[in-house]
Amino acid sequence: MNSQTTSTSVGQALYGTGTSKILSLAMVTGFLSLITLGIYRFWGKTRIRKYFWGNTRIAGDSFEYTGTGMEKFLGFLVAVVVLAVYLAAVQLILFQFGLAFVFQPRTQAEVIMQLAVIYLSFFAVLPLLLFAQYRSRRYKLARTRFRGIRFGMLGAAGGYVWRAILYLVLTILSLGLLWPLMTFRLEKYMTDRSWYGDTKFTQGGRWTGLYGAMKHLIIGVVILAVGVGLGVVMQSPAWAIIGGTLGYIWIIVGFVSYRVQSFAYLTNHKTLGTDIRFQTAPSTSTVIGKVILGGILVSVITAVVGGIGAGIVYAVIVGVAPQLGAVIGILLYLGLLIFAAALSLHFITEPIIAHVITETRVLNMDAMAAIRQRVTDKGADAEGFADALDFGGAI
Amino acid sequence: MPKALPMRSISAGPSDMQSRPAAPEPAIYFDGETALRRQVQVMLHSEHLGITPVDPPGKPFHWPLTRIRALAAGHDRHADLTLTFHADTDDESPRDPARLTIASGPITDWLRNQPSLTRRDVRRGTWGKVALYLGGAATAIAVLVFVLLPRIADEMARRMPIEREIAFGQLVIAQMERVLGDGAVLPTCNDPAGLAALDVMRSRLTTGQGLRYDLTLRVLDADMVNAFAAPGGQVVILRGLLDEATSAAEVAGVLAHEIGHVEARDPTRLAFRAVGSAGLLSLVLGDATGGTLIALVGDQMLSAAYTRDAESAADAFAHRLLTTTGIGTEGLATFFDRIDGKGLDLPEYLSTHPTTTGRANAARAVDQGEVTPVMTDREWQALKAICGEGG
Repeated sequence: MNSQTTSTSVGQALYGTGTSKILSLAMVTGFLSLITLGIYRFWGKTRIRKYFWGNTRIAGDSFEYTGTGMEKFLGFLVAVVVLAVYLAAVQLILFQFGLAFVFQPRTQAEVIMQLAVIYLSFFAVLPLLLFAQYRSRRYKLARTRFRGIRFGMLGAAGGYVWRAILYLVLTILSLGLLWPLMTFRLEKYMTDRSWYGDTKFTQGGRWTGLYGAMKHLIIGVVILAVGVGLGVVMQSPAWAIIGGTLGYIWIIVGFVSYRVQSFAYLTNHKTLGTDIRFQTAPSTSTVIGKVILGGILVSVITAVVGGIGAGIVYAVIVGVAPQLGAVIGILLYLGLLIFAAALSLHFITEPIIAHVITETRVLNMDAMAAIRQRVTDKGADAEGFADALDFGGAI
Repeated sequence: MPKALPMRSISAGPSDMQSRPAAPEPAIYFDGETALRRQVQVMLHSEHLGITPVDPPGKPFHWPLTRIRALAAGHDRHADLTLTFHADTDDESPRDPARLTIASGPITDWLRNQPSLTRRDVRRGTWGKVALYLGGAATAIAVLVFVLLPRIADEMARRMPIEREIAFGQLVIAQMERVLGDGAVLPTCNDPAGLAALDVMRSRLTTGQGLRYDLTLRVLDADMVNAFAAPGGQVVILRGLLDEATSAAEVAGVLAHEIGHVEARDPTRLAFRAVGSAGLLSLVLGDATGGTLIALVGDQMLSAAYTRDAESAADAFAHRLLTTTGIGTEGLATFFDRIDGKGLDLPEYLSTHPTTTGRANAARAVDQGEVTPVMTDREWQALKAICGEGG
């Protein structure tokens, strides 16, 4: 890429510098994590983030991820102790109350108790998950720089937790119809607390604006309901099966569509400072196409490599030394998991990220010159809670 | 102005062999204070990199070569090289916030050969901090497992209603059956004459003793020489124990010991502790499914790692029970003696229990009083054959 071009008022986002290196990077970090019993995963994730951030450019300048594996590791150690105390207490208390849960419920009271235990254990961990979710985003922003200037997010995870629970309850009670309200308000809560240097982001738009993104989800539900309804009325299972299958597939497409198009709506209505705006137009069909194509490639390659590997182990070692064969088999299996994860980063994640980024531009880029630096965010737990609860995927 | 090749280089290495580029090159500079994008000219000098702002223009300055560091993504020879320099800042890494991006060219080629470019610069005290955190985490987990968890477990066992404890005990036994049977569920022995004999044993041990729990006895068809107490007054005998014992008094002795555990609520406490520590382990290892959890609990219950104090208390209880019921402690002592002779062949019952010779002697030292047989010979033979096909 040409980094020498002067910034124009429209900053086009671009991804990548040519050949992708994510496959080998993910293989190496995965292997190091395996042989260090998982300790390297903090450094591995950091290296993968540096790769994705570094490959993302706006108006020729790339993003920079400045997090370190060490701070993530230390954050994890702290979080694991806090979580251990909390979860041990929760688990023991639930254990005390939930003993009937394990058995076949025989009375109505036992059924209610069983359900209560399931929901109680979920709600005991849910606040922690939401807390970790906010902290994880804050950490990632605090460790992102563009043109040498830090991003940042205010420490307000507590407010996020109770709002998220409230909107989740509303969404469930409304049978999903208020999902856009949850998506919008939570994104607004986080965006309105995000900064680039000394300049604040603002989330504009309205929550009802997200219903457009929900279109295919609603169509899918309608098809499903009509198909099953017709099947019942006309006494023909064929209608129910056709309607059910079509509706089900449409609903899955609808979920992807909602994620992509709600992201687009929210991004198009964000403002940085008073006059820097964003435009993005990712295509749902392109994203779905990449998921399907990538999924097929990952499955086929993994199956072929795994099959060949298993065949070789079986032919060469198992006959001679069965126990050695078993050990090597387990190692090969773990290696195959790493390989599959690396393949899906290469064939699914990276192409989708590249697509979304290339469809994005920043308007009134010149106004950035006036933005000033912000102080370092120490990062406290460095998303240790997210790591300890093990969510967030590969990036 | 371009200088002549330097005679002395800061960094030793292959770069000395390579000629230092003398011409200035364009670059992009961000000062780390504003997001202003500056066009600059960079030029290599003997000990520093000269930087002259061109657009917008400004005063020239320089970065010492030994302190210049590349950002991690700087290995691709054809890509731009983004630089910063080593400075003792409050940041996550000891780096100055300023950034300099030079397009691939002679200067980046020369810089990429400098070993100092990729130096990591670990901050002073980092390893001390790591040791502190690791030690802290290990200590906290240890306190949790060995101090806090046992207390919570004791308290919860104390408060647990008996009917719930019984239900829990059934779950524990089901889990033990699975562990012992290696996946398959072990059959419970139910020969009618054997069950009648087992009931004789039960009433001999419990009638008029004022026990808190209704004792339930079961025999499982397993070779292992063992008996264990599950929560809620349920004691399980494995067939191997009946095969090994030569008299009903021996079995009664072992059962008396297990009843001691039951009355002290040891199995319930142990189960709570096992659940807690299994949960902790799955957290640290990142196994959120909890699949290992239940298996681990069953396993720990089987090994029944009670404390020495709990064992001594159960022995003392057994001595009292055996004396007041008129069974006598000789059977228990004999059983200990024989197991001792078998050595390592029977580790399950022995490994977590105090030394058997000492316990046999302790059992014999008890003042016996009047001793009557536990059951008739016939009943004893029926008990031995409870699993069918003769023991």
